[in-house]
Amino acid sequence: MTEIRWHSRAGQGAVSGAKGLGDVVATTGKEVQAFALYGSAKRGAALRAYNRISDEQIFNHAKFMNPDYVLVIDPALAFSDNIEVNEKPETKYIITTHLSKADLIAGIPALHGKEDRVYVVDCVQISLDTIKRSMPNSPMLGAFVKISGMFELDYFLENMKRVLKKFPQKIIDANMEAITRAYNEVN
Amino acid sequence: MAVEFEVNKREVWDGNYAASQALRQADVDVVVAYPITPSTPIVENYGSYVGNGYIDGEFIMVESEHAAMSGCIGASASGGRVATATSSQGFALMVEVLYQASGMRLPIILNVVNRALAAPLNVRGDHADMYLGRDSGWIQFAAFNAQEAYDLALMAFRVAEHHDVRLPTMIHQDGFITSHTAQNVYPLSNEVAAKFVGVIDPIDDMLDFSKPVTYGAQTEEDWHFEHKAKQHKAIIDSVPVIDAIFAEFKELSGREYKRIESYDMEDADVCVIGLGTTVESARVAAKEMRAEGVKAGVVAIRCFRPFPYEELRTVLENCKSIAVTDRSSPGGAMGAFYNEVAAAMMTSQSRPLVTNYIYGLGGRDISIENLKEIFKEQQANADAGYITTDIQQFTNLRGPKLSFFKTDRS
Amino acid sequence: MAVEQQDLKLKANANRGLSQLEGGFDLLGWDEVTQGSVLPSFDGDASNVAFQKAEERSYSGYNSYTATVASWRVLKPVFNIDVCIDCQNCWVWCPDSSILSRDKQMLGIDYDHCKGCEICVEVCPTNPKSLLMFSEYADVGEALASWPEKKKKEKK
Repeated sequence: MTEIRWHSRAGQGAVSGAKGLGDVVATTGKEVQAFALYGSAKRGAALRAYNRISDEQIFNHAKFMNPDYVLVIDPALAFSDNIEVNEKPETKYIITTHLSKADLIAGIPALHGKEDRVYVVDCVQISLDTIKRSMPNSPMLGAFVKISGMFELDYFLENMKRVLKKFPQKIIDANMEAITRAYNEVN
Repeated sequence: MAVEFEVNKREVWDGNYAASQALRQADVDVVVAYPITPSTPIVENYGSYVGNGYIDGEFIMVESEHAAMSGCIGASASGGRVATATSSQGFALMVEVLYQASGMRLPIILNVVNRALAAPLNVRGDHADMYLGRDSGWIQFAAFNAQEAYDLALMAFRVAEHHDVRLPTMIHQDGFITSHTAQNVYPLSNEVAAKFVGVIDPIDDMLDFSKPVTYGAQTEEDWHFEHKAKQHKAIIDSVPVIDAIFAEFKELSGREYKRIESYDMEDADVCVIGLGTTVESARVAAKEMRAEGVKAGVVAIRCFRPFPYEELRTVLENCKSIAVTDRSSPGGAMGAFYNEVAAAMMTSQSRPLVTNYIYGLGGRDISIENLKEIFKEQQANADAGYITTDIQQFTNLRGPKLSFFKTDRS
Repeated sequence: MAVEQQDLKLKANANRGLSQLEGGFDLLGWDEVTQGSVLPSFDGDASNVAFQKAEERSYSGYNSYTATVASWRVLKPVFNIDVCIDCQNCWVWCPDSSILSRDKQMLGIDYDHCKGCEICVEVCPTNPKSLLMFSEYADVGEALASWPEKKKKEKK
């Protein structure tokens, strides 16, 4: 079982990101779960979304998890939310930021000593460059693909095209570019 | 002619989407709705299927849930295949009309995405609305995940519209935890689903001009009781039809449904019995307890109405201590579900220990660890031979321990 | 003529008013009542019922046509065809569809369903009225014989 927790603000696309990831993972024959708890949350409110990935049917419906990956797609939440809650010794963090990894970790005591499992990528800037608005979910998926090694990039891109098929070609292309850039830039 | 909607063998759908796809495949004639969180996408999607030509039906927006169910009654009495969806406050407003639908024996399908009842206002899931419908004369099925919300929605049409049943039927799924959780769903093809559900064969429909009928007759004490008794018997008698349709669906899909589901119960000393997604989480907890040497099992009620008293006695026959989990504020009594399980076990030979856990109100998380704690307390009861805790306890609640009712062992 | 038109079974189907509303029904058991308390109005195929007159229809035992409320009456309306102008006011206003009319010609009263409410008398515009209330036990012939004269307009 692989468990992923997304830290996001309502409107940044963590829910779509989690569902899109689940959709692609399911094509590999695995069982997936993608959920978020929201409802009356306003745009901009902090929210968490969740993924579970397993070779067998997933029965655990609890929100509680000890995540294998923590994906932070809002730069400020890395500082203000408890992104390390219920972590494991091997939990990997992928955080969107304009800062260098060293500067980011310096500013977040909870990440001190975890340099080898913290990764940074500027999903906001990448999405502004490609999708032309702040939509950091797609780039985060590219970064996750790289860090997790769960898929070949090309396989993931092909399947994301299918997930996004209801959108105009221009938007699909921009998302593909965003995913690819984040895949290459995450460090 | 309707446009073909493409469905893959494996989809990643949430519970709402799954339920709406079942409505599409069942070729529902009329959906009358007043959408409410978290069930909104079910009727919203149906509306878009109609609007985009995937289905030849009517989507009617009304001014309240009371009107929504009233509209469903009109459409159903006219002989159409009818469905809608609601939650929480909307369900509460619909309650009066639920009794009308069942009293008139109209086979309406209601997808209930369970949500807490205010106050305080809350959009997340608990079973307060589900319990509100328990005496309404509807058949009630509980789904524990998105796949089941889809499967049961298809089967519900068969059950409700069967001439030996003719009762409105609800399919319950947990708000957000099922409705907004995308999981692998393996749908039937459009063709197979349509063939399975078939075409409604109406009875006493008001559009049959060769046989005009009166709906909504008034009866006083000289007739009312007989009608309600006949209705109650119809619910009880729906059992063989439900079982047959579950069996037919298994042939078709490979997925087995029973009115009462049990997991690891063959040799279980202790068990958790529940409804909804918690059943699946409890299965994980039971497996972990078994690894720790506790013979733990899980029992789930798939068919809340008609309630499977006899099957429950059989499955719990050798169990020593039972935790009944109620996801609804009991309002000064034991949980309603506890009372039903206790009633069944009071009339059993074994008379096991039965305790009540109130949990998860307003969508409060219940973790595997929470459930393992419940199993451990059951094991302590089984070892002691009596209930070692108060009979009713609140689980995963902040503040001092809250519990009520003690056993008298003097 | 006068007595004939007050026929208690005027234009009646064979089963009109056969059963008493109170205590006259067989009180059926739970296993005999209709599903969903849905009540069929007619026996057999009723496709053509819109084109049939009441006396031609096969009303079912569930239809109130087959029950009588005659015993509710203390006073009964008596109809005087000699004064009637066939305005149909009584037919429109009668709450129990007890005014029998064919081709816009007033024929008389359905005494199985008339409860003696007197509305028909109230709305009758003729002078003297074409419908008047008499004791339930009054002889119709005597009632007609005692019909009042036309009232003269009072001079202002």
